[in-house]
Amino acid sequence: MSDTILQPAAPLGVGRGLRQFLVRYSLAGIFIIVVLAFSILRPDFTRAENINEILISASISGIMFLGLTWVLAAGEIDISFMEVAALSDMIVAGLVNAGWGWPLAACAGLAAGVAVGLLNGFLVGYMRLPALITTLATGSFARSIAAVIGLGSSVEVADTGIAGRFLNLHFGFLPAVAVLTVLLYAAAWFVQEKLVFGHYLYAMEQNRNAVVEAGIPARRLTVLVYLMSAICAAIAGILLTASLASGQPRIGVSFFIDGLTAVLLGGMVIKLGQPNVLGTLLAVLLLAVLVSGTALIGWSDWERDILKGALLLIGVIIVVKGRAAPATAQMGGAH
Amino acid sequence: MNRALLMRLGAFLAMVVVIGAIFGVLSSQFLSQNNIAAIFRHMSAEGIAGLGLTFVIVVRRFDLSFPGIAAFGAMTTGQLIALGYPLFPSIAGGIAVGIVCGVINGLAISVLKLPDIVTTIAMGSIAYGLSFIYSNGATISDNFMESGILDINDQTIAYLDEPIFFMLVLYLLAWLVLHRSRFGRGFYATGENPRAAMFSGVHVRLYVIAAFILTSATAVWAGILHCAEAGQADPSAGDGFLTPAFASVYLGAALFGYASVPATFAGTLLISMMLNGFTLLSVPYYYSDAIISVVLISAIAVFDPRFAAALQRIVKTRSLAGAPK
Repeated sequence: MSDTILQPAAPLGVGRGLRQFLVRYSLAGIFIIVVLAFSILRPDFTRAENINEILISASISGIMFLGLTWVLAAGEIDISFMEVAALSDMIVAGLVNAGWGWPLAACAGLAAGVAVGLLNGFLVGYMRLPALITTLATGSFARSIAAVIGLGSSVEVADTGIAGRFLNLHFGFLPAVAVLTVLLYAAAWFVQEKLVFGHYLYAMEQNRNAVVEAGIPARRLTVLVYLMSAICAAIAGILLTASLASGQPRIGVSFFIDGLTAVLLGGMVIKLGQPNVLGTLLAVLLLAVLVSGTALIGWSDWERDILKGALLLIGVIIVVKGRAAPATAQMGGAH
Repeated sequence: MNRALLMRLGAFLAMVVVIGAIFGVLSSQFLSQNNIAAIFRHMSAEGIAGLGLTFVIVVRRFDLSFPGIAAFGAMTTGQLIALGYPLFPSIAGGIAVGIVCGVINGLAISVLKLPDIVTTIAMGSIAYGLSFIYSNGATISDNFMESGILDINDQTIAYLDEPIFFMLVLYLLAWLVLHRSRFGRGFYATGENPRAAMFSGVHVRLYVIAAFILTSATAVWAGILHCAEAGQADPSAGDGFLTPAFASVYLGAALFGYASVPATFAGTLLISMMLNGFTLLSVPYYYSDAIISVVLISAIAVFDPRFAAALQRIVKTRSLAGAPK
């Protein structure tokens, strides 16, 4: 990878205006309102165990969707990420049961992520195959292999090993995994905002040909974002093995809609209409709070499916309309 | 018939013969009359979802919502039958639900200009959630015996199993519409160049909406046939539609140069032969996703005209990078 993308960059111009301000901070507002509402409706929502559970599940999702954020920011799509997590989950579970130690099994899970990520990146970045169909196929492939490992069923893991101890580790009331997630997001935020890499990502989304013409290694960048997405998913898969004390070949389904909803709702935050890591983190927290809170007030899974679909639609409408607004304003000014 | 088409047809027939021969050797039942009927039955039920998807691919959009919509539509039909409605209104009700979902997809994408992939993922999630609304997810099978829905699976018309008969009718209709009517040319025009199509008097938005309606409606039909075969309706009716449907359309398009009704027929036949063959060899179901995804990737990669160009580029970059300065 070329060194230039790791250079510091000048800050990107930020749009102004009350409307943009409102949209930009609306998700944080919604988050606070939702937390307050559930705390009032269900006092057990604010119990330490429940908050701990929310933080751990949000951390695992957050790690899984970190790489996905950049894939979408670069204007590509990845619908294989959740199956990569399922594959890594099953590989770790299978190998731990086969007597491999946790560290080695985790490395194998990570290696599977690297393999799928490189394959996605090669097919989309170098072969220029359509990203949706490519990742649909690689995702199906990963899901299939995950099912093969358990011969179609889930695999119990008796000893959750070092990953299990890590999930139970707390700094005060904060789970260690939440601290790790925040650190990862802080690092990602720095890379995205302060280094040229971030500018290239958003430039690729705007006009890939222009990026290629400008001499930016677009193909390698594409490989990098797919690789990141798969590695993040694989790490989340390893944590899932420990958190569920099992390998679940069909666990991917439940993260699919969450991932896209989180990244696109997150696109409302800070950078209007552009997926960004801080937005993803806030949206992941919002989703985790919604899942926990609606479970406490007695909603079933299918009601949450409808809610998540609706949220995804709202997110996408705001992103599309939010981006269209400055453009029309400019056009209006020109006349 | 021109030479290129003959070559492509030859390639398709060669694939049919090769796949038929491989499975024929591995399993004596593969080429039996019953099994060939089973292949066509699979094509006519699960495989029919690919027919509608063809229209969406022709207008250069994507639809990921049809498995969820198939579940919602099939559950609606199941619920209507359980409530005692006659068969045809029940099926019409299910398909109507599919059409409504398709209209919403189409409006959101062509009028509100929302991105197709994300919108249909959201729609799919909502539709799948709604399929639980009647029974909280439990299977529905009340009145199924009396209603005659099972007969769709069991009876024959003109010496053909009913699902196969309906499949042929649907393919014929789709072929007439897409390839033999002025209306159908508009789909290709919309896909090739929406601006040029619009200035030529093609109602681009209408075509996008029509394509999404056709995908949802055929997916619901596929879901209903799935229920007719299973003897009950459940929210998993659309599970496993997604990858095979895309694989059928893209494999067909790869073989025949572009997405079309005959191409999807060819793609679906090959996919159904493979899925059936592996089932006969008692390869567990969970391998089928891997096989189909390898077929899908190979189809889009090997037949992609840019494949050769991309290979050349890679070789060139490598040799340039390796060259002494």
